[in-house]
Amino acid sequence: MSGVVGALVEWMRVRGRSLEYFSFAVRRATGIFLAAYLLAHMVDISTILLGRGVYEALLDVFHGPIGLAFDVILVFSLSLHGALGIYSAVVEAGLCLKYRRALLAAAWIGGLAGAALIVWVILNVW
Amino acid sequence: MKWRLIVRRWKEGWREPRYEEYLVDADPDTSVLDALEKAWLGDRTLVFEHACHHGVCGACGMVINGVERLACITRLGDVAVGNTVVVEPLRGFPVISDLAVDKSRMFRATARINPVTLEAAEGGVGEAPGRAAVRPEKLLDCLECGICYSACPISRTMGEYMGPAALALASKTLEASGDWARVEAALGRFGVWSCHAAFECSVRCPAGFDPGGLIMVLRGKALRRQLRGGLG
Repeated sequence: MSGVVGALVEWMRVRGRSLEYFSFAVRRATGIFLAAYLLAHMVDISTILLGRGVYEALLDVFHGPIGLAFDVILVFSLSLHGALGIYSAVVEAGLCLKYRRALLAAAWIGGLAGAALIVWVILNVW
Repeated sequence: MKWRLIVRRWKEGWREPRYEEYLVDADPDTSVLDALEKAWLGDRTLVFEHACHHGVCGACGMVINGVERLACITRLGDVAVGNTVVVEPLRGFPVISDLAVDKSRMFRATARINPVTLEAAEGGVGEAPGRAAVRPEKLLDCLECGICYSACPISRTMGEYMGPAALALASKTLEASGDWARVEAALGRFGVWSCHAAFECSVRCPAGFDPGGLIMVLRGKALRRQLRGGLG
């Protein structure tokens, strides 16, 4: 295997790896997912050019359990990608290297807690 | 106790690698390297590298049950799943034969750094009258086993990347000399900036050398130097 698919397979080879490696893989996977989402979102909003009916028909697809499940995945991806990205930016600038494992743990806790809070708001407030 | 040693094998001319099983009689404290040597007694075509048998030379780096380790200091009982141990060559290097890989990529990258060794810093062993000149090329605590290249997701997918051991050498060189010219190669596109902080190199390093941490130290210094330059 070579090229993009080969690289993806190698990056996601997490069996037996450390939390640091697993975090790297999550950063990559969520980054790719978010990029794909952004692209899909651009296509989604572009359907307004085809008329209001087409746009609203597409929006209806995302109203319901499937849309909700997708939103939950999206929120977790955003939150984890952001939190792990901040961790990555700090250590990749050569800062706080002695505390990098504590920082990573904090990033995971913050990312998961933030996502859980947003999902709770989605489910109970909106 | 019987152990199932499953070895990934490939030789020049084979279209695909294949896994072969060897049954080895050994106790749980036996090293994976010793078990491989027992298997070799029954199959002299099995190829693997080894030398010191006590974790110093770095020759026997392999992927053992999915994780990079030195086979000579890894006990069967510590890594076996049931009684099975799967042994594969290091990743990120071309396979020469079975478990032996070509690590010249790592040595080429290391050669691009102009290191300061402890000997040179203390007056230069190589410059002493009457002694043969010693070209310093050993990387401090690094065993040059290649385990960090195999563990690193970037090394495995970007052939041009200089890799953890070479960049750690650059970081130590800059720390010892303060001379940016010695580490110029490490500051390019395929040097420190290609590392993505997975830190598996540091986790797997059998010498505790922490290549990932050293790369980030060098990167931090390079970043601050560039910022200072940019700010005038």
